[in-house]
Amino acid sequence: MTHTAIHISRVTKVYRTPFRRRATVALRDLNLEIAPGEVYGLLGPNGSGKSTTLKIILGLISPTRGSVTIFGRDNSVVAARREIGFLPENAYFHKFLTGAETLRFHAKLCGLSKSKTTARINELLAAVGLTDAGDARLSTYSKGMLQRIGLAQALIHDPKLLVLDEPTAGVDPAGSRDIQELIASLKNRGTTVLLSSHLLTQVQEVCDRVGILHRGRLMREGQLQSLLGIENQTELILENASPDLLDGLEQQIASTSARLIVRRKPQASLEQLFLKVTESTEE
Amino acid sequence: MITSLRRIRAIAGTTLIELARLRVFYVLVLFALVLIVSSTFLARISFQQELQVTKDISLGAINFFLSLLAIVATAQLLPRDIEDRVVYSVLAKPVPRFEYILGKFLGVVGLLAISLAAMSVLCLVVLHLREQSALHEVNRQIEQLAPDQLSSTVRVIHTAGVNRDLIAALVLVLAKSAILAATTLCISAFATSNIFTITAMAMVYLIGHLESIAREYWLQEHVAGWPKRTFLALVAFIFPDLQAFNLSDQVIGGVPIPAHLIEQLLGLAAFYIVSYILLATAIFYQREL
Repeated sequence: MTHTAIHISRVTKVYRTPFRRRATVALRDLNLEIAPGEVYGLLGPNGSGKSTTLKIILGLISPTRGSVTIFGRDNSVVAARREIGFLPENAYFHKFLTGAETLRFHAKLCGLSKSKTTARINELLAAVGLTDAGDARLSTYSKGMLQRIGLAQALIHDPKLLVLDEPTAGVDPAGSRDIQELIASLKNRGTTVLLSSHLLTQVQEVCDRVGILHRGRLMREGQLQSLLGIENQTELILENASPDLLDGLEQQIASTSARLIVRRKPQASLEQLFLKVTESTEE
Repeated sequence: MITSLRRIRAIAGTTLIELARLRVFYVLVLFALVLIVSSTFLARISFQQELQVTKDISLGAINFFLSLLAIVATAQLLPRDIEDRVVYSVLAKPVPRFEYILGKFLGVVGLLAISLAAMSVLCLVVLHLREQSALHEVNRQIEQLAPDQLSSTVRVIHTAGVNRDLIAALVLVLAKSAILAATTLCISAFATSNIFTITAMAMVYLIGHLESIAREYWLQEHVAGWPKRTFLALVAFIFPDLQAFNLSDQVIGGVPIPAHLIEQLLGLAAFYIVSYILLATAIFYQREL
């Protein structure tokens, strides 16, 4: 029997302040299902309930009502977390440990055998581009490097489900692209990824489905194409088209009931420009 | 899920490294200074008194520094991990909160044991050197002493120097500081700041040392009514009797410490440590991170 990777059923979370009557409702009747191998993006403004959702999934806080299962197991059972890798937002870790020591510590927590651990550490340090910094203490790491080592510790036990809270926060565009590529390669290997982010372009590039949270409610959810596609419009991008051809097309359109909304040259994104400039300098 | 010793050891080891790199071992330098400075003022008194005073100062200083270390080092462990979000990446792994608490506790106990070992070695070396110097002095004066006077003097020096009871007293100091660490961990499991934890622990320390007086008062049935007696019984049960672990007076006075008393005290320490660790775990399970 195949279970969904994450199943959230009617979860409500209310934060109560001791000795005060007022309570804050962080999540209201949240229902969510994420299939194995899917990359799901959780979007929402600050205070919308994204982090609360992730913490409930990880068993760090308990829901006031409702239930969560991870691959069919109740998430309150510690064993359910064997399948999960988690990268917290702005993770700090133990600054007095080196990158390799941090990964070794997390490998021990996941029960990895000694023989496998060293090979896995080297493999992950290479995957996140920290091979040269593996013996440096985390206190000397930049924010981007901390995020990369955080990603490596989340992957140390090769989890089936990866939960990422703002994975590219503080990472430069090149590092951010590397993380996107890593997520894409994990997806190809069948790993389920749940990520929360403010960077909508990145979410758009890597996610199969997204959900938009606002004030603790799931406002919209679905596949990106169906959410973003405009049913009655079509986009044509031509290469090496002559002005005559374009004028002819415009005239042909004008003779029908269709309407040409815009005619312009497509523009590269600022990120693409940044990567192009920095990569050409490196070469 | 079966408790994993490897995970507990990993958390304990990292906690020990964390505390060591916070330079808490500077306390040992202070201890050495106390011992060296005090020993320079002991030159003019008799051999027996000199050894007794050295023992008194050493045991007192070890007791004080180890208690201080247990409270201050433990108080910042949980709040720091929560503030730095280290706790998220650890507890998102298959790590039960009980293992996390136990690992933290064992890390502190490791630090206390290393500190105690270092301070004890220094103390024993100083005492041994003073004992040898006293015996050497007696040997020098051997012709002036009658045989029975000689053996009595040597016996007095040995009793006042390094012996089994001194080691037992040091082990009990470790047991006492481990109780303090477990209690501190229990308070910090629900506290929101280090200052609260340390202040609360200062009160626990005070109550723990005055408890024997309160217990004696309670035992005098005619003095207190049942509300007072119930309250005092509760205090006596909840707070460990820390003064009971202080056997310096017997060790310094050369009064032999019975083995069964040491066993009873170690049993009492184990009871309090297990109880406080279980309580800390129960509180930490309820804590929303």
